Amino acid sequence: MSESEITLGAGHAAAMEPSPYAIQSKKLTMWLFIISDAVTFGAVLFGYSYLRAGTPNWPTPFHFSPSIVNGLVMTFVLLTSSLTMLAAVAAAKQGRKSSCLLWMSATIVLGIIFATLHLREWFHLFADGWSLSKNPLGGPVQFGATFFSITGLHLMHVISGIIALIVIAIGYKTDWLDAGHVETTGLYWHFVDLVWMFVFPLLYLMNTAR
Amino acid sequence: MTDPKQQPGMKEYIAIWVGLLCIVGIETFLTTLQLSTHRLLASLLLLAFIEAGIALLYFMHLKYEKPNLFWSLVPAVIFVLFMMNHIWPDAYRMLNLRVPIQ
Repeated sequence: MSESEITLGAGHAAAMEPSPYAIQSKKLTMWLFIISDAVTFGAVLFGYSYLRAGTPNWPTPFHFSPSIVNGLVMTFVLLTSSLTMLAAVAAAKQGRKSSCLLWMSATIVLGIIFATLHLREWFHLFADGWSLSKNPLGGPVQFGATFFSITGLHLMHVISGIIALIVIAIGYKTDWLDAGHVETTGLYWHFVDLVWMFVFPLLYLMNTAR
Repeated sequence: MTDPKQQPGMKEYIAIWVGLLCIVGIETFLTTLQLSTHRLLASLLLLAFIEAGIALLYFMHLKYEKPNLFWSLVPAVIFVLFMMNHIWPDAYRMLNLRVPIQ
């Protein structure tokens, strides 16, 4: 190696100093997206919570069966999908490609089940006369507006996650993408799960007829 | 980069998953008690924050990253949410100041 090449190498080494967080840039980017998205969900959930707690005659349209049971099944499915995603990331890090793809497929299927159950819940509410601006029970109409907008925002994240998982799985299978991409997508998927941990108690359990 | 050896295995993940399901069970049980709206909201929020913390630290591996990642991200989010909490109560003032509906 010539002296100029060594000097050039040293220059690059100085320019490419390691990340202070010791993570890949795509993972840091995902973390920054997640905190901005967390603030978005925080804003809508805070707004809803104040409205819910401050309105004495707020409607409580959910009964334990079928709505809360459906919500519990949705929670179980989403939490389990986080577990399958963890298995996919672990397999990707160990270079077990077929195992990773199997666990990613399981995550995608669970995500689709969650979205289907969610939409089924929505259509039941539509059939009962609920909408963004209608309350068939009488009283404040904000329940429909808050419920459909917040759960809709979350459902949009789930559907986006399913699409992202499909793209990443295909890319990983064809060696276009690596284990780092699987891990980064896993971070997003866990965040979707994390948000549901607030959406379910605040929007379902708080609106259960007691 | 993160050392994968430091991270928990699937057995630990399954234990955490069971723990999270138990918290969801407690939340559902609380709903059956005749708690006031404010008390139920506070209880559910507390449990949701515990669940989110566990998911953040273990499922999202924040516990196994360098501490400066945690300190760069989490206090900023808490600060923003805390400041939002100062703005929302203003909605009550607006409700009281508005012209009564005839």
